[in-house]
Amino acid sequence: MMIRIRFHGRGGHGIKTASRIAGTAASMEGFNVQDFPLYGAERRGAPLTAYTRISDGTIFERGIISSPDIVIIADDSLIEDPMADPLNGADTNTIIIINTNRPHDISEGLAARGRVFLIDATEISMSVIGKGSAISAAMGAAACRVTGLINKATVEKAVVKELTSIGISSEEIIRKNVEVAGTCFDSLPSFEIITRAETSQLLTKTIVLPYEAPAISTPNVIASGNIIERKTGKWRTFRPVINYDKCNHCWICFVWCPDGVISLDDKEFPHIDYDHCKGCLICYEECPIKAITVERESSSNEQ
Amino acid sequence: MESDTKYKRLKDLSREEFILPGTTVCGGCGGLEALRLFHKVLGKNVVFVNAAGCFTLLALFPYSPFRGSWLYTNMASAPAGAQGVRDALDILIASGRLKPEDDMKVVVLAGDGSTYDMALSSTSGAIFRDLDFYYFCYDNEAYGNTGMQMSSASPYGSMTTTSKPAHLSTAGTRSHKKDIFEIWRAHKPPYIATISPRHPVDLSEKVSRSMQYKGPKLFIAFSPCPTGWMYDPSLTVKIARLAVDTGIWALKEAINGEVKHTYIPSKFKPVEEYLMTQGRFNHLFYPVRQDKILEDIREDINSYWEQYKK
Ligand SMILES: Cc1ncc(C[n+]2csc(CCOP(=O)(O)OP(=O)(O)O)c2C)c(N)n1
Ligand code: SF4
Ligand code: SF4
Ligand code: SF4
Repeated sequence: MMIRIRFHGRGGHGIKTASRIAGTAASMEGFNVQDFPLYGAERRGAPLTAYTRISDGTIFERGIISSPDIVIIADDSLIEDPMADPLNGADTNTIIIINTNRPHDISEGLAARGRVFLIDATEISMSVIGKGSAISAAMGAAACRVTGLINKATVEKAVVKELTSIGISSEEIIRKNVEVAGTCFDSLPSFEIITRAETSQLLTKTIVLPYEAPAISTPNVIASGNIIERKTGKWRTFRPVINYDKCNHCWICFVWCPDGVISLDDKEFPHIDYDHCKGCLICYEECPIKAITVERESSSNEQ
Repeated sequence: MESDTKYKRLKDLSREEFILPGTTVCGGCGGLEALRLFHKVLGKNVVFVNAAGCFTLLALFPYSPFRGSWLYTNMASAPAGAQGVRDALDILIASGRLKPEDDMKVVVLAGDGSTYDMALSSTSGAIFRDLDFYYFCYDNEAYGNTGMQMSSASPYGSMTTTSKPAHLSTAGTRSHKKDIFEIWRAHKPPYIATISPRHPVDLSEKVSRSMQYKGPKLFIAFSPCPTGWMYDPSLTVKIARLAVDTGIWALKEAINGEVKHTYIPSKFKPVEEYLMTQGRFNHLFYPVRQDKILEDIREDINSYWEQYKK
């Protein structure tokens, strides 16, 4: 028996910790486990993946999981992100759990894909912890639940262990995370998962790369500022919104936006480029007269 | 200080952007905030020579956020790379293949791991040769790109992934931050400054003032790092301000060796206010308060400012 779980999130969601919570909980239940993250060359807000394998025998399989039994998606904006491609390799047996606050938009297109479950872990975290950005306990607990192998009490122990190990020392924060984990655990059904055959990833041929002149074989960009093609707007969980009735065009948000996505118009009013705003909320924090408010990202505020 | 530059208030900053958005560095990155403000003063004609670190992610093949040019080097040799670029530009100008007005400013862009540790030797060489360049160090006080390992810029009492607090070492980082400003000053370059993104006018004045000097011009930018310092990204500017207001980050410059503080808070805030904003100092307060370590930190700040009191 082997269960392969793939977690998709953005840097800052705590997806690596979620995969560890699932691994630790399964290990506490007496299973052999593997868990590991895969980072690209990117940072907080950018898509990343983590993996957990759970087995009652020795695990010989290595490397990334390409045919997952369970896919956990910590942010619905990842579904359409080609860099994340969270549904890759999922089939009709795959259990797909999506953290979202827009159930209608999501389930329509996905119903045929597999067994899809939606939870609003961000909302659960916000109501219990007061913050909705790091959701490792919620996502880890969701994964544990659907395996059908792990007890709620064990998940709670694993949450305490893993959050302590990443340096969270406030007992209150840990207790609240345990509560979030419990709520997410209870909101999902459990399954019996049918083990798939091991996938062989052995290559039989060596790939020979021919010599190319340095002008071709070295990365050389002859362009100016073409990074603007990359839209980092999907990184946001929350969006800053400027109230132009209040704004006194003091320039503060413009000066302190690290990414330079706020521009000023002729009357010195600031405008946010939502295709690129990463949602750090420095502008919200710094606006001296609170002319900027924060909204949770949802389909209704997408333009 | 009396302003000899055009920067007197926020609205004197340039509205033009030189680093375009879409980069892969973290949301709320204090280093990017400082670099963006720095670049506004330098203008468009810049070649960055970038030591490996978080900021090599700014240019991610096949994309570049820069309107000028960018070259990647390994961690130890960005100043040597800068020498090569400067020489090449000089030769192009001397042989008439580049108009003098199209000349570019050569800027080393490096993290603290590179600046304080690995590239110290090549930096020393470049200053010694009086290379005409700018050096911009975004100091996030650890090796950020590889997961926040301790560097010699990591402050005493901070937790990094290679200096975790433990029973025998409650401070986390036991060593004290290297004084790179004084190391540079001993080399006698014409211009050195510390800057902070929270003080954009001070920052712009300094960059602008430095431009009149030929030779090495060195900047150390205080660079709050939400990911590595463990705080909410929205607090970057607040934390930068607290660093200055508690006296932990001194804003100063040295023109031809003479040190001048450009901003001195009239009353220093208690350093706890700064430390408590960041998870990397959590162990100084929970589960028990580490009074001795906090006292050491206060003592460090006091003895720093003591030497400048007349
Ligand atoms: C000589 C050398 N050793 C190690 C590395 C691996 N490496 C790449 S980035 C990095 C961290 C750099 O830290 P720092 O200079 O502080 O910049 P930051 O990552 O914080 O931006 C390391 C160790 C390297 N590129 N070159
Ligand atoms: S949240 Fe505000 S400060 Fe942050 S990237 Fe967006 S506009 Fe800029
Ligand atoms: S900081 Fe607030 S008041 Fe100032 S320009 Fe921005 S939105 Fe307007
Ligand atoms: S790890 Fe820190 S310094 Fe590096 S990009 Fe992220 S916020 Fe900036």
